[in-house]
Order: sequence, then C-alpha cells, then structure tokens
Amino acid sequence: MAILPSFAFTVGAGELWAIIGPNGAGKSTFVRTALGLARPIAGTIERRPGLRLAYVPQQSALDTIFPISVIDYVLMGLQGSGNVTLTRRSVHLGAARRALEEAGAAAFERRQLRDLSGGQRQRVLMARALATDADLICLDEPTNALDAASEQEILALIDRLRGRRGAAVLMVTHLVEDGLERADRALLLDRDHGVALAGPSAAVRAAPEFEHIYGRFVARHGHA
Amino acid sequence: MEASSWGELWANIAIFKDAIWAAGLAGALLGFIGVHVVLRRMVFASSAIAQAAALGVALSFWVPALIDPIGHAAGHAAGPAAHLMPSPLFEPVLWAIAASLLATLVFIANPVRLHLTRESMLGFVFLVSGAGAVIIGDKITQEAHDLAAILFGSAVVVQTIDLYLVSAATVLLLGGHLVLWRALVFVGYDPMGARVQGMPVRALNGFLFVSVGLAVALCTRALGALPVFAFSVLPAMTALAFTARIGWVFVLATVIGCFSGVAGYAVSFRAELPVGATQTATGAVLLTAALLWRLVMAERDRRRARNQPPSPSSSRPTPPADRASTASAPRTDAA
Repeated sequence: MAILPSFAFTVGAGELWAIIGPNGAGKSTFVRTALGLARPIAGTIERRPGLRLAYVPQQSALDTIFPISVIDYVLMGLQGSGNVTLTRRSVHLGAARRALEEAGAAAFERRQLRDLSGGQRQRVLMARALATDADLICLDEPTNALDAASEQEILALIDRLRGRRGAAVLMVTHLVEDGLERADRALLLDRDHGVALAGPSAAVRAAPEFEHIYGRFVARHGHA
Repeated sequence: MEASSWGELWANIAIFKDAIWAAGLAGALLGFIGVHVVLRRMVFASSAIAQAAALGVALSFWVPALIDPIGHAAGHAAGPAAHLMPSPLFEPVLWAIAASLLATLVFIANPVRLHLTRESMLGFVFLVSGAGAVIIGDKITQEAHDLAAILFGSAVVVQTIDLYLVSAATVLLLGGHLVLWRALVFVGYDPMGARVQGMPVRALNGFLFVSVGLAVALCTRALGALPVFAFSVLPAMTALAFTARIGWVFVLATVIGCFSGVAGYAVSFRAELPVGATQTATGAVLLTAALLWRLVMAERDRRRARNQPPSPSSSRPTPPADRASTASAPRTDAA
C-alpha cells in the first residue's frame, strides 16, 4: 500500500532541501527510499551514475555502549564498498583530520564520541559526512536536542557544506521555521492528510496545505 | 582429599596439554568474537547457541540408538571406542555445528511478523535446547557422563580431533575477524550509515553470526557449554571496563579469554575443581577486579574534577540538557 501520494522533484547540486512534516508523516520512509535502503512501492528514483551518498544519523540512534573515539567515527566515513576493511588507516587519517578541522571539532579528536555534549557530537557527525566527500548528504534531525547557539552553528555548517563542496543536502527537521528559512526548497509530507508537496521553500510555506497541517500561527509567524 | 600440586600438573603436562591448548585457543577466539557479541547486545545468543550445540551432541548419541538399538547396545558391549563414533554421519561435532547454525538462523530471522522479539526467540531456543538435552540425556544413560561434561564443561582431557578443530577454527575465524573487525564495528554501530556508504552489511553480519555459531559449536564440543558462554561474554566485558579504545578492547579481550582458559584449567587441577566452572569463575574474578578498578578510577576523576578551580570558559552556566536553554525562547517550530 502506498504511504504517500504521487509527487515528483529533482535535487540539484548544492541545493538544501528541508524535509518537513508532522510525526509519522512518512519522512523516514522517504529518506530510506531516497537513499536506496528501501524500494519505492510505486514510481522510480533516478540517481546520477556514480553519485556518492552519505547519511548523518540522529544522535540518539548511536549506541553509547560502543567505545568509539571521535577520529574512529570520522574514519568510518572513509569506509565503503571500495574500502570495506579500512586498510592503510594512517593514509586516511589526514582526510579525517581535515574533516574534523572543517567541522570545528579538531579539538575533540581523541575523545570518546559518547562523552561529548550534544552540539560537539553533532559537529563530529557532520565531520564524517564531510570526510565521505559525498554528492548527496542526508541529515536526520541534525538540530534535535541542541541549544539555540549549537543549532545555529550546525545550520551554518550545513550552509558551508553545500556552499564549498557543492553537495546537495536533504535535511529532515522538525524546526519548520528555521528549516524553511535556510533551505532553498522544501518537501512537505503528511500521510494522514495525503500531502506530498515539493517546491521552493517560500512556495511551500505559502501553500494552503502548510497552513492546514501546521496551523495559522506557524504560517503567519513565518511570513512576518 | 589432598589437592594436587603445580609440580604434578607439570609432570603430567603431556596428558593435559591438549586440554590446556584447547582452553587457551577457545578463550582467545571467543574473547575476540565476544566483543561484537557484547557490543551488539546479543549476549544470550551465544548462550542459546551453546545450548543448541549441546543438544546437537546429545542427539548424535541418541539418534543412532533410536535407529539401531541392537547394534548400538552391541557397540557398548564391545567397548567405549566402538560406540563413540558409529558412523561419520553421527559424529557429535557435525551435529553440534548443525544445531548451532540452526540456532543462529533463528537469531538472524526477524520475528517481527509473529509479533515477537529476537530475545524471546533466543529464550525459546535456549529452553528447547536445555530441556531437550536433559530429556535425551535421560534416554542415553551410557553417554550421560559425556553429555554432562558437554553441558557443564568438565573437559579434563580433550580429544585430539577436538583440539585440531578448535585450532583450525581459531586460525580461520580469528584471521577473518582480524581483517574485518573495523567493518564489523561500523556495521554494528551505525548500520544505516554503513549501508548508505555501500558496505556489504548483510554479508558482514552473516559472517559474524556464522562465525559465532561455528566457534560456539566447536568449542562447546571440546570444552562444554558453560565455559564457552563465559568466554564469549566475560573477557569482552572485562576489556570494556579496562579501556575505551576500541582496538585495545579486542586485544585485551583476546588475551583475557586465553588467560581465563589456561589459568582456569590450572586452578581447577590444583584445587581439584570442575574445569568449566573454574574457568568461568576465573573470568568472573577478572571482571570483578576490572569493575572495581573502574569504580576507583571514576572516583579519583570525580575528586580531581571537584578540586580543580573553575576555568574561565566553564564559568558560563551550561544547561544540563542543550535543549533546555531554548525553553524560554519564543519559537514557532512544530513538534
């Protein structure tokens, strides 16, 4: 059974997309499908040949029982189909350190990922995405459980990510206002109301479906 | 009864060396693999698989008696060697491997469609295997002693073939794990990220589960279910208590597993205690020491932190949870 109504859109290089919608809207299903982890029940997803993907999980998805250092976590970004075992680790250390530097997390290199604060940890998660040198990066709630200052730092880092590297970013976020403000484009999903609306952020914010889902207050405040 | 001396152990080392080698190798192999077992929270998988292996061995004794009761009884009458291996088909280690891999399949299968969890399926495997081994043990009185040795680990001596199998498993499986340990950690820690980056997640998980099944089956046949379960859990826990560097966790767990096997055997000889239980107790003593050391270190760090003057950067109040600082800020974000 299809979860979402039919919709079509293209993600271009360097674009930032905000994937928004209420809880249970189908955001995770969409992301899994976009990343090739689940097959679409209907329709198709076309990817440019050789497209490199990266996924930044929610912090809560990482098990704190694992003793993973910051540098080891970023080095995971250099593992993949062509380098499953991460042979010649020392060769990749330089790339991992550059990614940490770019994310402003070089000072935490030797610390345990589980011992960092939420904001510090999110920078490290972003550093792994930087290390992958991916063309399309999917961020799952990157500002979840962060204070306002850390939120802004992470959003600025996302801007740098696409600006300097030309990577396209799909950002699942519950921060509707910030997400729409920063993103070029947005995808509004709500399976309960049969909504799947893609387009420029301003157009999505102005759509009647947006006000129907989020209510008048959010919509008006966003316009202010 | 007077306890044996270390000198007696050394004097008779030719008799016991196979068992000591088997214990050391099994401890090292299971110690290494056990790190994945513990980190992935599948501790009871190894227990259930070990129990299934014991059931497999029990079945290898019972099925020939069921098929050909007269020939089996005649074999007993002819002597112990005659009934131990009536046919290669009923070689206990093959049945142990088959039962272990079957239990591993149950673990790999996702029972969510049955509205059950993996843990409950593991409980099912453990209980069926345990009950089956006891019931079959009641039917095969001639081999009951062998079966008890497998269940509880009283491997004073180990058959040469079992030592060869454990050695081969250690070389092959440990070799594979040494190559793949980083990949297995990545896949266990962030499976979705690993899949997105093109890691062969299913193949890696398959290798891990099959290697757990094979290692547990072969080591259970040689040493018994109890020490095998202990080796696949306690060394990894001890190593995790000692260090937070993932590479060193594997090294330490391997060394501690090996030491528990060898030292446990020596202590059991010296104090005339059951081998498997003593090896388990050795691992438990090391874990207890590691946890106490960890507590002492944590207390030392806490005192140091309390006595240190606050640095200028830490003078800014930090909210207990990052999100808390936004509570009073007017936001319009949707939940």
